[in-house]
Amino acid sequence: MITARGLYKRYGAKVAVDHLSFEVRPGMVTGFLGPNGAGKSTTMRLMLDLDNGGGETLFDGRKFGTIHHPMREIGAVLEAKAFHPTRTARNHLRMLAAGSGIPFSRADEVLEFVGLSEVKTKKPKSFSLGMAQRLGLAQALLGDPTTLILDEPANGLDPHGIHWLRDVLKSLAREGRTIFVSSHLLSEMSLMADQLVVIGRGTMIYNGDVDGFVQRFTQSSVLVRSPQAAQLAEVLRRVDGVAVSQAPQDGALQVSGIATATVGELAFQHNVMLHELATQTASLEAAFMSATGESEEYVARELLGPPGGEPALQPGAPAEPSAGPPAAPPVPPSQPGDTTPGGAE
Amino acid sequence: MSSALRFEWVRLRTLRSTYWLIGLGLLLTAAIAFGVSFATRNDIVTAEDAGIIVTGGAELAPFLAIFLAIIGIFATGHEYRHGTIQPTLTAIPQRSQLLLAKVLMVALTAAVIAVVSMAINIGIGSLYWGSGPDLGAEPLNEVLPGYVVFVVLYAVLGAALGQLFRGVPSALVILLVTPLIVETLIAALSLWSALDWLQPALKFLPFSAGGRLIATTPYEASGGPEFDFFDRWASGGVFAAFVAIILVVAWSLFKKRDA
Repeated sequence: MITARGLYKRYGAKVAVDHLSFEVRPGMVTGFLGPNGAGKSTTMRLMLDLDNGGGETLFDGRKFGTIHHPMREIGAVLEAKAFHPTRTARNHLRMLAAGSGIPFSRADEVLEFVGLSEVKTKKPKSFSLGMAQRLGLAQALLGDPTTLILDEPANGLDPHGIHWLRDVLKSLAREGRTIFVSSHLLSEMSLMADQLVVIGRGTMIYNGDVDGFVQRFTQSSVLVRSPQAAQLAEVLRRVDGVAVSQAPQDGALQVSGIATATVGELAFQHNVMLHELATQTASLEAAFMSATGESEEYVARELLGPPGGEPALQPGAPAEPSAGPPAAPPVPPSQPGDTTPGGAE
Repeated sequence: MSSALRFEWVRLRTLRSTYWLIGLGLLLTAAIAFGVSFATRNDIVTAEDAGIIVTGGAELAPFLAIFLAIIGIFATGHEYRHGTIQPTLTAIPQRSQLLLAKVLMVALTAAVIAVVSMAINIGIGSLYWGSGPDLGAEPLNEVLPGYVVFVVLYAVLGAALGQLFRGVPSALVILLVTPLIVETLIAALSLWSALDWLQPALKFLPFSAGGRLIATTPYEASGGPEFDFFDRWASGGVFAAFVAIILVVAWSLFKKRDA
């Protein structure tokens, strides 16, 4: 059980981690999710006392620095290639084992477990990222810890490797261990995690189970195809809270705010023939995008349109709202952006 | 603490550069010892010659000390260069203990290697010394332990510099440039009449003072700046104080900074 309280870290004026509090429970995999630069690694570094900052993290009630031989209780890997390039994989693990009172034979066991037995006497400078990740996992498992903290362990793994990692983490969780895994890819996490801690720009966005995240950040909609689409759209619009849009190409209706079964019943009651009726749930990726979209730290610029493509300002709308006129004269209730020309409903 | 020392021991002996640097250091000093012994085989060996033979010419170019200082730099600097400080600190989060273990292990290695090197060099020298100089008499009875202290201080300085700069290159530059260029330059400037007030301060130049630990003859100006060093052990103390200051600064920053 990990309890993080009020984790806080600032670099100059920039707040990297803003009072994060969460719990990571044993017996399940907890995914730590956020876009690049959201503060995931910094949070993990704070948890392990590698960085100085505010707040505290307790591992079964104890701070990391007070645990004797922490590697035997907490296996952590924050960087994929944190080894000396010419020290063999086995010696790297033996070195850490020596520092934690773990027998050397354990190095061979974990290398066998992660499938690196054949290269254990090789220099890891030639390791691929996937092999480095496996060595990292071996390092984390060296002390047979009850808690695992892994930063982006699936980075660089091929699909087969990701599948393997998922099975490993799930089976370790089933043994009652506490597992905290970060990723910037929700697709990875949706395969591995039971619980999610989602952050953006250092602040908490969501903390709970995966399904709850999807429900909260996805809007499911209903796709309807009908030869009498216009008539059906008319009927549906009369229902409170329902939005209907029609695809211009094939005339299919996209209906939100209503259950699929209700659409079917309404069509039946109004003698509308349906060719297709389907529930559409936005993907987890879409949920992630909608949850973290505004909190992305480094956003690539959209491709610019042709010059002069800016929408014309509405007449009467102030060109620059911050000009600061001497006194505000009574302004007619014109709100720019309220009536977008060409907007759908 | 014992596990931090064990960690450091495995770290040191699983690194190929450790063997290269020690091997090369022993070989180079032995070669100098052989060269000087061979060249003076028909003469009476003076204490000065014997000092050069025993220390492998350390008074002129302290190869072994520099190679062990590089081992010291690697002990701390490699952790940052290769990002291993993260796994290291998750195994041993007590930073003071970790740094102390590194310093102790590097110092111990330096002491052992300095003794081994002197044994090899005395062995080589004795092939040519008929009766041989008296190692138990002045100044050799002080040069021998002085050399061990000298090499140990260099090695500890390396570890401190590697920790201070959190990397290898800057630490190497400081280690090599300070004695060769900075101190030589200050000594040269003090010869200029406008800067002759520098001369009394020259005895505090750390590397020059450290060199007195292995000196076989008193300092003579012979055209250089006119000043007197402290005696052998006090001069060694100046160098040791310099090393201690660097180490304390490195340690306090290590305690305070993000890893």
